[in-house]
Amino acid sequence: MSLKYVEEYRDGDLARHLVKKIHAVSKKELRLMEVCGTHTMSIFRHGIRSVLPRGITLLSGPGCPVCVTAQKDIDAFVAFAGIKNVIVTTFGDLIKVPGSGSSLAREKASGADVRIVYSVFDAVNIARENKDKEVVFCGVGFETTIPTIAAGILMGIEAKVDNFSIYSANKLTPPALAALMETDGVEIDGFILPGHVSVITGTDAYRDTFEKYDIPSVIAGFEPIDILKAILILVQQNEAGKPALENAYPRAVSDQGNTKAKQIMNQIFEVCNAFWRGIGEIPSSGMGLRKEYQRFDAAIKFGMDMPDVPEPKGCACGEILLGLKTPEDCALYKKKCTPMNPVGPCMVSSEGSCAAFYRYSSLER
Amino acid sequence: MTEEIISLDHGSGGKVSHTLFSEEILPLFENFELSKQDDGATLDIEGTKLAFSTDSYVVDPIFFPGGNIGDLAVNGTINDIAMCGAVPKFISVGLIMEEGLPIKDFKRILATMAAAAEKAGVKIVTGDTKVVPKGKADKIFINTSGIGVIPPDVNVSGNNAKPGDKIIVSGTIADHGITILSSREGLKFDSDIKTDSAPLNKMVHSIIQSGCDIHVLRDPTRGGLGTTLNEIASQSCAGIKIDEQSLPVRGAVQGICELLGFDPLYIANEGKLIAFVPEKDAQKVLEIIQLDEFGKDAVIIGEVTAEDPGKVFLQTAIGGVRIVDMLTGEQLPRIC
Repeated sequence: MSLKYVEEYRDGDLARHLVKKIHAVSKKELRLMEVCGTHTMSIFRHGIRSVLPRGITLLSGPGCPVCVTAQKDIDAFVAFAGIKNVIVTTFGDLIKVPGSGSSLAREKASGADVRIVYSVFDAVNIARENKDKEVVFCGVGFETTIPTIAAGILMGIEAKVDNFSIYSANKLTPPALAALMETDGVEIDGFILPGHVSVITGTDAYRDTFEKYDIPSVIAGFEPIDILKAILILVQQNEAGKPALENAYPRAVSDQGNTKAKQIMNQIFEVCNAFWRGIGEIPSSGMGLRKEYQRFDAAIKFGMDMPDVPEPKGCACGEILLGLKTPEDCALYKKKCTPMNPVGPCMVSSEGSCAAFYRYSSLER
Repeated sequence: MTEEIISLDHGSGGKVSHTLFSEEILPLFENFELSKQDDGATLDIEGTKLAFSTDSYVVDPIFFPGGNIGDLAVNGTINDIAMCGAVPKFISVGLIMEEGLPIKDFKRILATMAAAAEKAGVKIVTGDTKVVPKGKADKIFINTSGIGVIPPDVNVSGNNAKPGDKIIVSGTIADHGITILSSREGLKFDSDIKTDSAPLNKMVHSIIQSGCDIHVLRDPTRGGLGTTLNEIASQSCAGIKIDEQSLPVRGAVQGICELLGFDPLYIANEGKLIAFVPEKDAQKVLEIIQLDEFGKDAVIIGEVTAEDPGKVFLQTAIGGVRIVDMLTGEQLPRIC
């Protein structure tokens, strides 16, 4: 296995050429938001901020699935871990996120059966192998992940697995962008739209938001050349005063997206309201199980309904996700909140902006 | 420390492990040898300089492409001793086995330990076996300790890095950690990656014999190259700058890292060393390493700077600069 194609998109000469162009075009001060956590990581990892004009500020948006998971949902995951004969299956990112009392990692260290899986299919297989136990999967993800969770449920049906259920804290990207634009104080001059999500949704999914807010929006891949190209397009649109919705990741993203994935997702799930950390409830921004599949709904199966608790005092994760603050503006950052002892989820996930700032930002301006 | 329980992060080799060591372990045993925090202790016994080191192996799975827990345990301690500039001589082995371990697995592991010791020219001279009830350990845990002799005039330590030193890595990074990860249940990558587990004592011997001035030798095991460079930057109060494009990473290893969101800089190696050498000797040492059977892919990856003491910076392929921090805890696979 080899990812030869990656090298082309990390080419130093091409990158320097793009950087030169960005410097040549850039006149205005701009605040650009990368919506996706993988972009945040890639921007830090490749030192992209260090090569941009001083007037361009990159903000991390609400696109790290762990970071936007509401405290009550984290508390529910922790509560499942405390139920006898329940195996909690989760993606690795989530395990250290502190709920209001504990975290999955802490429950695991104290003896709860919490297992890190790489996909929902692993969770279904664990259920098949442990018929005397109940397996709960922590469903946390965007459009990228939801179709696979739906496929996992179809797999469960086919294999007649009845000891498997999911707790859906899944979320949709376009409604969050709209909610962001409606928030007081938010100043964004352009969106770097998420590449992975767009592979599923297609460019068309952003058209309504774009038309309503007339904001420069570019879908980007995750390699440095992809990101620099998207930034160049956003700068050009802003300088020319001509906002547009563009797809700068055509090797993976089409207008319609992955119709089969969307069909499976919509077969199992339906749009519902969802709680976003720091933002609150956003209408039609979640995906809950359809009525006919509710036997796979862990919340119903176990009667799990955790109260909506306030986020930890002083934690600015919510404002950071909205681009209203940077991690350095948070009073807890690097003091009470570190990757060793995280307070908010943005410090936990490798794609969280606080964790990325903590790890990489000493030389960043 | 606010954590009241030991977590897996405490064993990651990163920042959390270091905090455990410096806050909870070092103060209890405070002595000069331990406080140097090298891979092994260097001891002076009536005029003879010795290196002494111990390490425990709890790898899961116990068999993996390119090796098993047995040769890993032998090579690991050989390398820790070699990184003190010493010639490893004798090794002890402690086995903790779980009831139910197949005898054929036991035999296979011990046979590879014998072969590994023979290949490296060290003797396993003492040992111990214990068996615990089923479920009280995971198949087999191995502890190895070893001693070696440090030739006169050799002074290799993590606190010797000097501005201007070139940094050599003896081959591709992250092979071992990715091999283990991809052999675990649930992750079935079809690749030809195997562990890099290997004894580096002969390579070190050749370097020392060359008469070149060697400041630091270290094997970047748990915590990976990024963590080890941070340890040295901190021990030596020096800055380190490395070049991303020079970092040797196999295509398949890079691919798996990309898929799982891992940074190869923080993935374990078991058969690689880094050497800090003054510029005048760097090319010669590089060539010596490249002549060794485990050093063919050796390259210079960066240098020590007087600026930014204690910090490690990476020049990225696109011309940017970023900091390389120490790993904090275990790297966890990302969601998307």
